[in-house]
Amino acid sequence: MTLTRSFTYVKPGSLDEALALLAEHGRAAAALAGGTDLVPWMRDDLVAPDVVVDIKGLPGLGGITLVDGALRLGALATFSDVLGSPVVSATFPVLAEMAGVVASVGIRNRATVAGNLCSAVPSNDAGPVLLAAEASLQVAGPDGERIIPLSDWFLAPRRTALAGGELVTGVTVPVPGRHGGCYLKLGRYRGEDLAQASVAVLALPGSRYHIAFGAVAPATVRATAIEECLGGRPLDEATLAAADDLVPEVISPIGDLRSSAEYRTHMCRVMLRRALRAAAQRLGGDGPPYGERLL
Amino acid sequence: MGYRVTLRVNGERWELDLDPAETLLEALRGRVGVKSPKVGCERGDCGSCTVLLNGQTVRSCLVLAVEADGAEITTLEGIGCEGLAPVQRTLLEHNSFQCGFCAPGIVLSAVELLAAHPHPTRHQVQEALAGNLCRCTGYEPIIRAILGAGEEP
Amino acid sequence: MSGTVGRADRANAMEDLRHVGRSEVRIDGLDKVTGAAVFVDDMDFGPDLLHAAIVESPHAHARIVSIDTSEAAALPGVVRVVTGADFPFTFGLYMQDRQVFARDVVRFVGEQVAAVIARDPRTAREAARLVRVEYQERRAVFDPLEALATEAPRLHPGLGDYPHVPWFFPEPESNVAHRRRTIRGDLEAGFAAADVVLEDTYRVPRYAHCALEPHVVVALQDRAGRLTVWSASQSPYTQRHVFAQALEPLGLSHQDIRVITPYVGGGFGGKAGVSMEILGAVLAIAVRGHPVKLRWTREQEFYNTYQRQGLVARLKVGARRDGTITALEHHLFWDAGAYVEYGANVVNAAGLSATGPYRIPAISLESVCVYTNLPPGGPYRGFGYSEFSFGLEVHMTRLARAIGMDPVEFRRRNAIVEGDLLPYGAPMNPSGLREAIDRAAEAIAWGEEEPPQEPGRKVGKGFALFWKAPAMPPNASSASFLKFNEDGSINVTVSGMELGQGYLTVMAQVVAEVLAVPPDRIRVETPDTDRNPYEWQTVASHVTWSCGNAVRAAALEAREKIFQVVHAAHGFEEGSLYLEDECVRCDTDPDFCLPLRDFVVSGIETPDGTYRGGPIVGSGMFMPEFSSTHADPATGQGGHPNVHYTVGAAGIILEVDPETGKMQVRRAALAVDAGKALNPALLEGQITGGLLQGLATVLYEDMRFDESGRLLNPNFTDYKIPTAHDIPDEVVPIIVEVPQPDGPFGARGVGEHTMIAAAPMVADAVEAAVGIRFNEMPITAERVALAVARREEPDTWAST
Repeated sequence: MTLTRSFTYVKPGSLDEALALLAEHGRAAAALAGGTDLVPWMRDDLVAPDVVVDIKGLPGLGGITLVDGALRLGALATFSDVLGSPVVSATFPVLAEMAGVVASVGIRNRATVAGNLCSAVPSNDAGPVLLAAEASLQVAGPDGERIIPLSDWFLAPRRTALAGGELVTGVTVPVPGRHGGCYLKLGRYRGEDLAQASVAVLALPGSRYHIAFGAVAPATVRATAIEECLGGRPLDEATLAAADDLVPEVISPIGDLRSSAEYRTHMCRVMLRRALRAAAQRLGGDGPPYGERLL
Repeated sequence: MGYRVTLRVNGERWELDLDPAETLLEALRGRVGVKSPKVGCERGDCGSCTVLLNGQTVRSCLVLAVEADGAEITTLEGIGCEGLAPVQRTLLEHNSFQCGFCAPGIVLSAVELLAAHPHPTRHQVQEALAGNLCRCTGYEPIIRAILGAGEEP
Repeated sequence: MSGTVGRADRANAMEDLRHVGRSEVRIDGLDKVTGAAVFVDDMDFGPDLLHAAIVESPHAHARIVSIDTSEAAALPGVVRVVTGADFPFTFGLYMQDRQVFARDVVRFVGEQVAAVIARDPRTAREAARLVRVEYQERRAVFDPLEALATEAPRLHPGLGDYPHVPWFFPEPESNVAHRRRTIRGDLEAGFAAADVVLEDTYRVPRYAHCALEPHVVVALQDRAGRLTVWSASQSPYTQRHVFAQALEPLGLSHQDIRVITPYVGGGFGGKAGVSMEILGAVLAIAVRGHPVKLRWTREQEFYNTYQRQGLVARLKVGARRDGTITALEHHLFWDAGAYVEYGANVVNAAGLSATGPYRIPAISLESVCVYTNLPPGGPYRGFGYSEFSFGLEVHMTRLARAIGMDPVEFRRRNAIVEGDLLPYGAPMNPSGLREAIDRAAEAIAWGEEEPPQEPGRKVGKGFALFWKAPAMPPNASSASFLKFNEDGSINVTVSGMELGQGYLTVMAQVVAEVLAVPPDRIRVETPDTDRNPYEWQTVASHVTWSCGNAVRAAALEAREKIFQVVHAAHGFEEGSLYLEDECVRCDTDPDFCLPLRDFVVSGIETPDGTYRGGPIVGSGMFMPEFSSTHADPATGQGGHPNVHYTVGAAGIILEVDPETGKMQVRRAALAVDAGKALNPALLEGQITGGLLQGLATVLYEDMRFDESGRLLNPNFTDYKIPTAHDIPDEVVPIIVEVPQPDGPFGARGVGEHTMIAAAPMVADAVEAAVGIRFNEMPITAERVALAVARREEPDTWAST
């Protein structure tokens, strides 16, 4: 058997029941949604929960809706749900562009956006686009509900601001109005891969940009310094060269068996340029269709 | 032990007494006895274990069997029971498969694709198959066969 | 009658082929498309089946001080714990240097030290963790050149005593397990006669087979002592032989052992010989009366099965300005791993053929098999030729450019042709190499510039030749039985393996052609050493040729018997009889049409009520009688170690993004001389599949070990094999047919060959596109991007 440790499995029918379980067992409990991270981690003994709390039975955690100008993804919304959502494609297609490069269909059918954020692996795909969009997480806990801005969420590799006994119930993404977006993910080839480096760019009217990098720092990072440098300026060679120079200040990639720090840094520059160009074109109603391969 | 679950596998109802640590792949192969989902990597990387869970492809090595309580599961054994499905026929006629180990996962991925996109583009076929590793064929004969199935009236 | 060739003569000479040469639907296709195909892991052995787990060494080189199995043995559900003390045997195919369990010394990270047999897999794994092994670490060596140094640790002090085939030359008191030299002509004079001499060193790392089906074995020694092994193997008879040799101290011989192999989910050489299956055999003996199963995890599949060996190659080649190659010196140092029982033959094969398919008057090949503390190297598609062709073909292209000649024209001029001397002095077999060159070059419009599809990208074209001969003992053989059933269908029994290449189908087509029974009425049965006759191994791309001959012989024998029976019952001259559409026909009586099904089991009733004939069976065998390893050990001259070579040429159009380093194959064309394509669709399947496997080795497969010899990426997350997104935009398969005189219908083997040219032609294309020269594999996007960036902005990269 691939999972050698024993554990208890519970599938609560209400949020209160789920929270009670998480409160009772603390760190010995793990919430299970898609399982595409949790199950391999259990197999490799990276986590060893005594209690697995399946949240797929909780009502109201599914779905993707547009409410008051913000996209609301329930905690159980999968990457496939994002790809198939008319509301996403109409209002915030870069989110679908990101979802389309996550793993493969069979993984996307189970893996949830919220779960991806909770895993907080530095290469997580949902982080950069949602951080650039200034998204926030709805969290339920023993003391009621609270909202955690994504900018406060990632603390360290695999560590988030989620406190003991808490459960993410949804992700809220303010839709930026007129904008162009682009998410570029560097893989080692065209097939399924963890991000070796990634960048999300939102181009807004008035030459304003929101930029976030993934997989090149302990956590997903908002490139505020580059945003300030680019803000209000045309995307000419001088501006882009200035942005190039700031890239190493914003990111701190490691070199590992997957990619060297040099290549990650080099590619962040290349991807930033291509993403800026595409996002700006899309803002203008032009540019390559979302999902087109730009790397 | 001691988790009573009901799985509907290829239209048949199975009442099983499960250990939560059993994956759906293990339960299907070891208890239900369908052998077409294969053990290839047990990490969700290779797609050999792919099954349809409520109509969607999933990596059964990453699903706990207890999670599938009440679900409809389809494996390759549940496809083409009354004569080969069109996609099985074209894969056969194109000599698409070689060793056949990846075939069950690939057929199910193709079934999912054709249900949503009866006349897929080449890129759509590649995307649907991208999670099913095949070491033998170089994929081209498989892609051609699935495009061929899409062309059938 | 006189002067005309009768229908019988034409039909029996098989001049108008009806099944051979056609892209018949695979006879195992239905099994595979419905999920009916059974692999070893799918077989049920009942609730009594025991499960095993292995205790592995964490060290690359260490002395085993002690093993304490008491805690493990005490775990409820554990049946037995075994170590090397219980089975102190060595085994091996060409050399017996490998231990069933490490006893005194472990030699690679992951080597098996002990095993637990338990009632369920989980208990076995838990118990394996409880086995306490104490080690005393030793200095390890991971590079072949380091292992050759005098101060290197000696990995096999007992090398001088290992039994081995007579054509291996181990060097005791060193880490050289075998050295193959092939020397012909006057090398010094050859280089002196050259206008340009090019010298360089090339490095090729290790690679993993990554068949989708992991290795698995189930074994049972019954209460009478008979051992049956079910394994996912390319070589059931060779497995039986290796088991018999290893277990001889227990009194077991071939008669006592049975090996059964159903469908195999990919081999590529990794399931040849014996690797983990020996463990199944001994564990079954340890729990006599109970079946035991051992299935490798994907991780073990990476680090404890054969790996493709690493190579450091030094090449020196000279040529005149008119394009003639005058001399070639090729020194190959192989990182062969901890045990070379099979891998030493890869080294040997390379040492006989590392000139490539060229006519060269003066050559010196030296191929050195070096022990290292890494997983055992072994057979991998290409068997040394994939490894050495990277450097060789890149070198030929550069040499051509150095003398100012087009690289394809250079190859055309020096291409080996029938009758030319092979490196070891025997003559080259018939082959269409020049035709392959011309057609492959045309298919990629060699010489014409190709514009990029995207602005800013660069396009380069590459070209390479390839050849390979089966690397087998001189008496490797195949045999086949054949019988008819009452409905006129046929069973053929062989012991070659259906790995996916379509072998069963092609054997059926051969029989179909001889006996005029369509392939879908012919079953070809997977191996069972009790019931199916001998096949050496399904390796070396040789079974189409060797077993095809055996199967054809069996079918011819059956046909002869059919004609004898009809003659005995009806009086027609045998020479006037022929088979057509499952019936016996007669030249002299056009109305005569006797369906085979009427008599092939029951015989033919005669007017007086007696019968003639009975069940028709056929048997056939093929073993080459011209192959010999006798040769001068110092020069390799005089033998005929290889039966024949399959040759070909390939070209590629590669588009490179210099910023990202990413490369896309726009078109890959591969021409191979199959002699006769018995099933063109299946042959094209080998071209498409092999090409992609070869491209993957040069573009992104990247095996990484840490400084202690541990494999860092034993999984598909970090060892990338191609997905459906990673295929070339276009593959152009080209089949050349210059018949192989001793092959069935003129066929020659094609299986491994299709991956050999991929790596060098990509390297060529990258150099043509962006001007960066790579002497090492893999050529990843990262390496290309950084090389381009460093060239363009040397100051930025000065410190990196």
